[in-house]
Amino acid sequence: MASCIGPVRAVLIAACCLAAVACGGGGGGGGGSGTPPPPPPPPPTNNVASVIVDEGPASQSVNTLFTSVTVCVPGSTTNCQTIDHIQVDTGSYGLRLLAPVLTVTLPVETLSSGNSLAQCTQFVDGFSWGPIALADVQIAGETAKSLPVQVIGDSRFATVPAACSGTGTAEDTVSSFGANGILGIGPFELDCGDCDTVTHGLYFACATATTCTDTTVPNAMQVPNPVTHFAADNNGSMIDLPAVAAGGAVTLSGSLIFGIDTQSNNQSGTQTVLTVDGNGELAMTFNGQTLANSFIDSGSNGIYFADSSIATCTTTGLTSFYCPGNTLTLGLSIQGQNGVMVNNLTFGVGNAQTMLNANPTFNVFPQLAGQLPAGNAGTFDYGLAFFYGKRVAVAVEGNMTSVGTGPYIAF
Amino acid sequence: MPIFRSGEIKITILLSAVLIAALGPRIAGATLGEPEITVQSDVAQLRASIKNSDDRASYRVHEIQLPGGTLLREFVAPDGKVFAVAWNGPTKPNLRQALGKYFDAMVSAPKPKFADRRHLQIQQGDLVVQGSGHMRAFSGRAYLASAIPSGVNLGDLH
Repeated sequence: MASCIGPVRAVLIAACCLAAVACGGGGGGGGGSGTPPPPPPPPPTNNVASVIVDEGPASQSVNTLFTSVTVCVPGSTTNCQTIDHIQVDTGSYGLRLLAPVLTVTLPVETLSSGNSLAQCTQFVDGFSWGPIALADVQIAGETAKSLPVQVIGDSRFATVPAACSGTGTAEDTVSSFGANGILGIGPFELDCGDCDTVTHGLYFACATATTCTDTTVPNAMQVPNPVTHFAADNNGSMIDLPAVAAGGAVTLSGSLIFGIDTQSNNQSGTQTVLTVDGNGELAMTFNGQTLANSFIDSGSNGIYFADSSIATCTTTGLTSFYCPGNTLTLGLSIQGQNGVMVNNLTFGVGNAQTMLNANPTFNVFPQLAGQLPAGNAGTFDYGLAFFYGKRVAVAVEGNMTSVGTGPYIAF
Repeated sequence: MPIFRSGEIKITILLSAVLIAALGPRIAGATLGEPEITVQSDVAQLRASIKNSDDRASYRVHEIQLPGGTLLREFVAPDGKVFAVAWNGPTKPNLRQALGKYFDAMVSAPKPKFADRRHLQIQQGDLVVQGSGHMRAFSGRAYLASAIPSGVNLGDLH
């Protein structure tokens, strides 16, 4: 059994490891001899998964958030596996697992044509190819039955179609992917807006393992944000991370809480709602410019923006990060599609090289910032550092909470 | 100073119109580092259509609409060669097609330290490839640093 990650509270560890053993929530209680005590009332679903920022399974990550996921062959409570170091990503949709760490064999989805379904998942820096399989998924106490998930780098579909490999560099190993999988819990339900009617080079129908062609796919067969398929607490999620010192830390542990206003531990309270557009984006104002294509993203490992007045690092491999002479404190405003404005936010920009040299074992750097290409002046990408010291809610499109209707981000 | 004089522009537009009329929906873009005339083969490969062609001060831009909604822009220098390509939309274009012989250099480039899935920054000799975005919204560009016509602002290549 893979170990449960993250220290956090004992109760979370117990719940996490219990999930790993019980897998899918089968198991009844075994009474002892003598008079059995009256059965306790059913507890509410455990909706809290522990998360951690650490170096990751490839020992190369900074500001990358991980959790553990249990997957079972559909219908089975024994053919299961708990996988740690699944990246928690609010900038993508769907659960994707790296085949090299999978020990269970998940059945591949079959289209009505009889062809197998596979996917070319695009990331900015590459692609991940592999079949869409079905799994009973459990995270904390939440379960989703027969959930379409992608298996990346699956030897059953080893031949990557040219239309997929032509989009960049393959990321199909733990080393090249930097995680054992990824849990996309952004503010939409599906990883593609219109793949039921338009081919995008994302979904492929495979007549054989080596003959895969671009296809449309019914929505129900596409890879969804797993939260939307949970039996309960399925309207969104919250990421709750403690604050961290400006210079960083080795690790940072917190909680991924499922549902918004569904239990006593996920109440919106006085959170400010910023509605996002159809791309999950909102406007940020920085340096006097309003950047319409900005986003808050747990899957970005830095604070990325264009500012030619800040020096970039000169060390090979770090040249896209900022290395100012002194730590900068900069201002930022964020405006949602609903017109709500959050003003007077500040963030720090440290010298990436200095920070890394001072603490080479650190994996948490709240002041790590990097540049976006000058041609991308309309974007401010506020990465995982935004979540440090906050509880950030991500409400899925179409879901109503006590403070608004998704898609939104609230904090 | 505009390098395409107005008369040339008119001829170009006329020629483009003739080309588009002749090739119909099979028109697409040229390939990085290749002559503008490579348009036709790429066009067919990408199943695309030219949405707009625009002459700027020191280069020409072809804006190509890909079937999935992504816009691909190709920047042609006065020497008639494509010196930059840029993209923006729900998916990335086929970069093997758009980057041509430079695609392999991009793929084989060493991964920078602390790469994440939202950014791409590659410099391999003359080739620069940059990207950012997230699922459902990608943007990026590739250019040949030595081929950029004088007076072109890098910030305009998007």
